[in-house]
Amino acid sequence: MSSNRPTILICDDSLLVRKKMKDCLKEYGDFNIVEASTGQSSIELFKQYEPDLVFLDIVMPDKNGIEALKEMMAVKKDVKVIMLSSSGTKSHLKAAMDAGAHDFIQKPWEKSQIEHIIRNIF
Amino acid sequence: MFSQYFGNYLLNRGLIRPDQLTDALEYQRSMRLKLGVIAVNAGYMTPAQVEEIHNMQKKADKRFGELAVEKGYITEQQLEEMLATQKQGHLMLGQALVDRGHLTIEQLQEALENYRKEYGMSSRQFNVVGKDDSLQIEQIFRDHGEALLGKLYSDYVTLLIKNLIRFVDDNPIVEINQFRSDITAQWFVSQEIYGKINMFTAIACDRDVFVKFAAKFAQEDITEPDELAQASVGEFLNLHNGIFLVNMSNNGVELEMNPQQVEQNRTLANPGKAYVVTCHMTWGRFDMILV
Repeated sequence: MSSNRPTILICDDSLLVRKKMKDCLKEYGDFNIVEASTGQSSIELFKQYEPDLVFLDIVMPDKNGIEALKEMMAVKKDVKVIMLSSSGTKSHLKAAMDAGAHDFIQKPWEKSQIEHIIRNIF
Repeated sequence: MFSQYFGNYLLNRGLIRPDQLTDALEYQRSMRLKLGVIAVNAGYMTPAQVEEIHNMQKKADKRFGELAVEKGYITEQQLEEMLATQKQGHLMLGQALVDRGHLTIEQLQEALENYRKEYGMSSRQFNVVGKDDSLQIEQIFRDHGEALLGKLYSDYVTLLIKNLIRFVDDNPIVEINQFRSDITAQWFVSQEIYGKINMFTAIACDRDVFVKFAAKFAQEDITEPDELAQASVGEFLNLHNGIFLVNMSNNGVELEMNPQQVEQNRTLANPGKAYVVTCHMTWGRFDMILV
C-alpha cells in the first residue's frame, strides 16, 4: 500500500455495510482501506495500520464499538473516529461522545454525509 | 396504515386471499398520487428537494409532509392543500377490492361493520379511518394493535411495516398470529434485544425469498444465499431493531442488542408466549418471529 495515501479503517460486522462504504469512499478520494468485522480485530488493525480515519459500528461480535473506541483513543488520542450505527440511542450517543468520538452517524447513512466528513478531514 | 390493518383483518377472517389483497393494494397504489409529485406539480418543491425528503424518510420516523414543513420547503397551509389533492386522487382499499372483483359491495360493508364492532371503534374513530389519510389513524390502530398484541409488540410491528415500506416493498401485508407450533426455516436471521425488556426477534424464510429479500434491501444483483445475501438480510434486521431501540430510547427506555446471527435449516421450538408476523410481500412471504 502507498504510504502517502490516507488510511481509513472500516469496522462493521456486515459485509454489505463495508462494501457500500468502500464503494462510497472510492468516489471521494484515493484511500488505503482496511476492513474489520469484529470489535477485537478493529483494535488489532487500528494498532497495525494507525489509520487517519475510522468508521466504527457499535453492535459487533467480540467487543462492542464503544469499548473499541476507548481502546483506540488510548492508543492515539487525536484519531478521528466516526461512529456509524443503527442504534443511535441516547445512551450510545452519550457514551460515544464521552469516549471521544468525532461524530455519530445513524444508519442508514447518505453519501452526502460521508462526503462531508471526507471533505472536512482530508 | 389502515390498508395494512384492515387487509390483515380480511385475511385472518378468510374473506380474501393474500394474492387478492396484494392485487388490490397495487391497484390502490397506482391510483394514489404521491405527495412529492403533487408538491413538484404545484411548484412548491424542486425534484431535488423531494429526493432529499425521501432520503430523510429512510431514517427519520416521520411523514413526507412533516419533514418538508420542518425543512421550510412548504408551509402548513400548502401541506393541507397537498393532502386535499391527494385525497381526491386516492382510492380506498375497500373500493379497490370491489373494483378488482375480490369483494362485493355488500361483503365489504359487512366486513367494515364487523371490523368496527370487533375493535370497539366509535363512529367518530371509524370516520377518521374512512378518510385514510389522517394523522389520527396511526394512533387509533396503534391502540387497537395494543389490544391485540400489547404495546411493545404493537409498536414493534407498526415500525416493521414502515421499514418494510421504506426499504424493501411498497405494499407489505402482515398477518399476526400466536406462535403455536415449532417453526423450521431454511434461512433464519435472529437478533436479541435486552435490557429492561428482553426480546428475541427473527426473520424465517425459504431460500428463494431470502435471496430476493437480500437483493431488494442491498439494491445489488444477488442471486445466491451467499455471504453478501446473509449480510443484507442481517443488516435489515439490525437496522430495523436499531431504529426500534432509538424510538424506545426517546421514550425513556434504554435497550441494547446483540449482533445478528444468520443460520441455515434451523428449527425454533414453540417457546410459549410468542407471535409470528407473516409478512406477505409482492416478491414472497416470510415470518417475523417475536418472542
